[in-house]
Amino acid sequence: MAGLVLYNYELDENSYRVRLFLAMLGLEWKTIAVDMFPGREQTKPEMLARTPLGTMPVVEDGGLTLFGTGAILAYLAKAYDTAGTWLPDEPSAFGEVMKWLGFSETALAPAVSARLQALFDTPGDEKALQAEARRAFRVMDDHMTARQIDGSEWFAGSGPTLADLALFPSFALSRDFGVDHDEFPALRRWIRRFRALPAFHTMPGIPDYH
Amino acid sequence: MKLAEGWVPVALSSSIEAGTSAGAVVEGQEIVVWRDNSGKAHVWEDRCPHRGMRMSFGFVRGDHIACLYHGWQYDTAGQCRYIPAHPNLDVPQTIKIPTYRTEERYGIIWTTSSADAALPAIAGTEDAAPVRSVYIDCPPEAVLPALGEYSAAGANAGIVSVNGDRLLVAMQSISPAKSALHVLLLEGSGTQKSYARWAQDLRFVLEQPAPAVAEVA
Repeated sequence: MAGLVLYNYELDENSYRVRLFLAMLGLEWKTIAVDMFPGREQTKPEMLARTPLGTMPVVEDGGLTLFGTGAILAYLAKAYDTAGTWLPDEPSAFGEVMKWLGFSETALAPAVSARLQALFDTPGDEKALQAEARRAFRVMDDHMTARQIDGSEWFAGSGPTLADLALFPSFALSRDFGVDHDEFPALRRWIRRFRALPAFHTMPGIPDYH
Repeated sequence: MKLAEGWVPVALSSSIEAGTSAGAVVEGQEIVVWRDNSGKAHVWEDRCPHRGMRMSFGFVRGDHIACLYHGWQYDTAGQCRYIPAHPNLDVPQTIKIPTYRTEERYGIIWTTSSADAALPAIAGTEDAAPVRSVYIDCPPEAVLPALGEYSAAGANAGIVSVNGDRLLVAMQSISPAKSALHVLLLEGSGTQKSYARWAQDLRFVLEQPAPAVAEVA
């Protein structure tokens, strides 16, 4: 099957990461809606054939099937970002981006869980998840404090990269799980710049300033 | 210090860009700190009179701030001027958000609900360079002893000397268990970045659990 296909759930922040990147790359794709809540469709055999752990989203491109948000984002950058700015080739720039891409999949996992717990009552210790998410945001705010003093507005390099794209949704959605933006002045400044990028769009939970 | 007791530092001026808003808390009281497009800072109660939504979740348009819920817009005096659901309505004067006195000095936004409080006078702050605001999970009264060589310039601000450099540190009491410090570099050989790290390290120290008191047999 030719063309990009995204298995998507509108309220899933990882699906949003991929939607956002597809749009920012100026690509066209076909969306297949997966009923994560309440249907839990991603945990049933038809979807498990594509994503054995039941994680979302999934991208198909030609004969390729990808699960894992970081892998999908990295693949899309390699395949379609002809300018090579989102995931630079130069080793140290690549390393810096991968560091934060990894952070988004590990340190921000509690933020993803905290939000699902708040919205859909999925299992988890609400207070502990919230505290871990806040700890990750602090690391991000400390980093961007230093970056902004140096005159940089982005997590890695001189322009937006996959680092910014992968980190943005959890912080932008943090009010969904009761973590406010008061304590993170450097991240407030950063998300304002990220929101101004071409082809940026919101998802439910991220206000659209009309 | 409560808003009614005197001038409270609530943000670095550089942290509130023109056309943006942020929430803050002073001794449990929620406030919105926002800057209109002309550059003037405002501090209000963080509550839309319509449905109680926090105004800090909203957005700034020109010299109005709009609530995220239903787009009610307020002018710089806190007066509601426009209700999108009733575009032709002459909005009643009674729809108003309480505003607080707001001043910017030393690179800090200060606010108070007291009519006669005086801002602390601090000399030698002409070249103050913003370092950062740092938010610490510790009681406000625990901060002062951790600052080292500190000379008070008012109830909640003072000069800290570190390796011969001078920092302005202004303290915001958020709750019995949370504090914020707004830090600026006044003069010295250290960099803003090195003092951003210093503030981060201070947070680390202040958040260490209190050592267990040894029991005397």
